[in-house]
Amino acid sequence: MSKQAMNKPAMNKPAMNKPDNPQGTTHKQAFDEPLWWGLFSAGGVCFAVFLPAVILFVGVLLPLGLLPAEALSYQRASAWLFSVPGVLFAGAVVCLPLFHAAHRLRHGLFDIRVGSDTVNKKVMYGAAALLSVLALGVVLAGMLS
Amino acid sequence: MDKSSSQRFDPLTRTWWLKHRFFKLYMVREATVLPLVFFILCLLAGFVSLLQGADSWQGWVAFMGSPIVLALNLLALAASLFHAATFFVLFPRVMPLRIAGHRLPDNMIVAGQWAGVLAVALLFFWLLGRA
Amino acid sequence: MSGDKIGTDNLNTKLISVKRYLPDRSTEPYWQSFELPVDDSTSLLDALNHIKEQLDSTLSYRWSCRMAICGSCGVMVNGIPKLGCKTFLRDYDGEIRIEPLAHFPVQRDLVVDMEIFLEHLAAVKPYLIDDNPVKPFDPAAPQTYQQSPAQLARYKQFANCINCGLCYSACPQFGLNPEFRGPAAIALAHRYNLDSRDHGKKQRMAELNRHEGVWSCTFVGFCSKVCPKHVDPAAAVNQGKVEAAKHTLIALFKG
Repeated sequence: MSKQAMNKPAMNKPAMNKPDNPQGTTHKQAFDEPLWWGLFSAGGVCFAVFLPAVILFVGVLLPLGLLPAEALSYQRASAWLFSVPGVLFAGAVVCLPLFHAAHRLRHGLFDIRVGSDTVNKKVMYGAAALLSVLALGVVLAGMLS
Repeated sequence: MDKSSSQRFDPLTRTWWLKHRFFKLYMVREATVLPLVFFILCLLAGFVSLLQGADSWQGWVAFMGSPIVLALNLLALAASLFHAATFFVLFPRVMPLRIAGHRLPDNMIVAGQWAGVLAVALLFFWLLGRA
Repeated sequence: MSGDKIGTDNLNTKLISVKRYLPDRSTEPYWQSFELPVDDSTSLLDALNHIKEQLDSTLSYRWSCRMAICGSCGVMVNGIPKLGCKTFLRDYDGEIRIEPLAHFPVQRDLVVDMEIFLEHLAAVKPYLIDDNPVKPFDPAAPQTYQQSPAQLARYKQFANCINCGLCYSACPQFGLNPEFRGPAAIALAHRYNLDSRDHGKKQRMAELNRHEGVWSCTFVGFCSKVCPKHVDPAAAVNQGKVEAAKHTLIALFKG
């Protein structure tokens, strides 16, 4: 009866009885994760603090016609958006919440075992970055025109 | 006999979170980003319409009023509030704040964050509540 | 139950189902039910002892102290990790289903192999690391590790861990990826990082700032819910993320 058999059976018993440093990569640092987590956290604060009001006023009251007639007229809306506060608005209401969503979707896909995390990560953060550039690009284009 | 050869191991299935309430609520919390993404995409379309001109903007406002879009954005509103409720209570646990050596009570930090939500809503009301 | 007096006179019978696994007899686990007499003071551990002594001596499970400090008697009760000695049958109606702790390989009946947890624990160096250890005791010039109550308060909560492993059974991220260092190990690492006498933070951060370190956590938070000692490992892991972020920033600027 050998206490430590060399070849493990096909049983799903991952990571057990492994040498300390399998491929010399034990301490592979995740230098990107702090960035994603920072963006996720900042986006989470924006989602919680700014989005309820934005969705209520722009997504619900405006289309229902419950705002005063000229409250968000084209002139007013474009003057507000295409300005320095408009850049901040886009950052807080579009860009950061997008990275928050990307982070949760990436981990959510891992939770339900869909795809590979390496690919999901690139797709999610990549999409968030692209849409962020689009949002800021539109605002800057509006400021310049 | 090898110690591990007789062991049994149940790997998690992808439906593990349906097993009980706590995990279902966790998944609802994670899923709040789905309606959020929908609203952000709508908003981005609104940005583009502003760039295109007044008619386009009017068209976008009409689009936002269509029943399905409105329903999804109402869902996004509910999701943002649920997210806020779950997110605010995590803050004091992730970053316990200390003032003069004393830890700030958790419920004070949570109340402070809700005050922020209210302040932003009031700011919007002040900006948009009158023409 | 709330207002009722808890006593030993409230006798009745309860149905307990145990997930049995006897690898020398069958490779498949099976459920076995026991009906046993209980009163208001019967703990789950009492019930398992009763089964072993009176009903079926082949049942295997771990236990020792009976007072929620040794951390050996963890099992799943209706799908939730619990200490047998701290769980009272009076709080359950209907059938009570007992399984071995989730996410660990099962050796026999309710006995799991916790080796991987111990590996994770050892990997984060959960002990004081000191560059300048205290010299041998000299009565003329006593030199001790000194710590103020305020310094103690910073880590005390995270020092209450009894290594029972309930948090690993509660953590889906550990279930999905056993390489994840997991709640208790990271909480212990954080406990030593917060200790004013310790100088091992740099070594531990190298372990924590990995995908399998703090970054696998999604703050499900169930680990903290099931912890019998109120350690709040979820808070420790997520405070660890803040520390790992600082560690990364420092490494970035120092090159």
